[in-house]
Amino acid sequence: MTRRGVSHLVPTAEMTLGPFFPREFAEGVNDLSRGVAGEAIEISGRVVELDGRPLDNLILEIWQADGAGRLENPDFSGWGRAATDAQGNYLFRTIRPGAIPGRAPHINFLILYSGLMRQLQTVMFFESSDDPVLQAVEQARRGRLVAQKINSTSYRFDIRLRGGEETPFFDD
Amino acid sequence: MAILIERRDPLTQAQGVEAGYAQSARRWPGQPLALRPHTPSELSGPEIRRCLPQVRGDLAGYGAKRALGQLIRLRVRVVDEDGAPLPGTVVEAWHCNAAGKYIHPNDTHDAPVDPNFYGAARLVAGDSGLAELRTIKPGAYPVPDTSGWWRPPHVHFSVWGRVWLSRLVTQMFFPGEPLNDSDVILNAIRDPEARGRCIARLVPSRTSELVYEYQLVVRGRRASPGMP
Repeated sequence: MTRRGVSHLVPTAEMTLGPFFPREFAEGVNDLSRGVAGEAIEISGRVVELDGRPLDNLILEIWQADGAGRLENPDFSGWGRAATDAQGNYLFRTIRPGAIPGRAPHINFLILYSGLMRQLQTVMFFESSDDPVLQAVEQARRGRLVAQKINSTSYRFDIRLRGGEETPFFDD
Repeated sequence: MAILIERRDPLTQAQGVEAGYAQSARRWPGQPLALRPHTPSELSGPEIRRCLPQVRGDLAGYGAKRALGQLIRLRVRVVDEDGAPLPGTVVEAWHCNAAGKYIHPNDTHDAPVDPNFYGAARLVAGDSGLAELRTIKPGAYPVPDTSGWWRPPHVHFSVWGRVWLSRLVTQMFFPGEPLNDSDVILNAIRDPEARGRCIARLVPSRTSELVYEYQLVVRGRRASPGMP
């Protein structure tokens, strides 16, 4: 295909992760905090479908800035992956991200699972703000993207794929 | 390098809820997805090699430890929308054994486990964006709780592009398989050409392996000056 005279390939069609993503691929990669300067935090939550049923072996991946709001830091990967257990629970250990210019501190979440024909993207914020991505969600639903603070180092970010109190997701 | 990500084309990408795949109606969001501005946070991404090491490059094995089934070699090339290769990107692959059984506790299908087949590999693409996997051809299997939906032989792939929004998780199919025509997942791609590109190409081989070539195109192209 040509677009403005430039060679252009169409992105490959995304397809569902399926129910049998190898367990080993999600082991040992949910801790981004090891040996890293910054404020260590834990993010946990439960992922459910319609009717609140928890989802097992669902894959979450995150991408975030370092504690100073930098997206490139040779000492901090910024990336992690976790799988939910049979009760739908996941856990990440990381550091609290700093603010990237023009953005409030946030963590990007990607969700992959059987029954999802393609990836879902959402974002976790630490507090309500005028962040342009948070503002892209209708006002009544923005609170669903703000994590619940459990204590000074723990946050809870539950995700509901579908149904009442559904988590807002983004298309790109 | 500034990377541009364009909206998904509904003809070449699945759209969410798919008739015939009951779980999609329980899991795909009921509310419309929000459109967001793309900022450096979405248009950057991890150096994924640092996070995920190579794990197994060969799932077929040799001699007495060889997995049952037709030996195949998958030559998978990862490129972006400009056709530029992504050397050093990570390619995860997983598939069932020749009898249609996954090594996974959640697979309840009554088919034999092959003690010499594990079914999960992670590769790092070489200089030309090429990753090669020697394995066996996966079998077909029925999907539980459906009226006769059989998955055709397929290989799952997970790859990373240049930025966070380039992430690609998909499945590769084999040419000439009758079950391809009725598979709910493959046929969720409405454009026949895009669907056809999800099917690997068999190329001549003089070795003991059938060789298939496949290209994975991750989202993103270089934004050139003068482009809006």
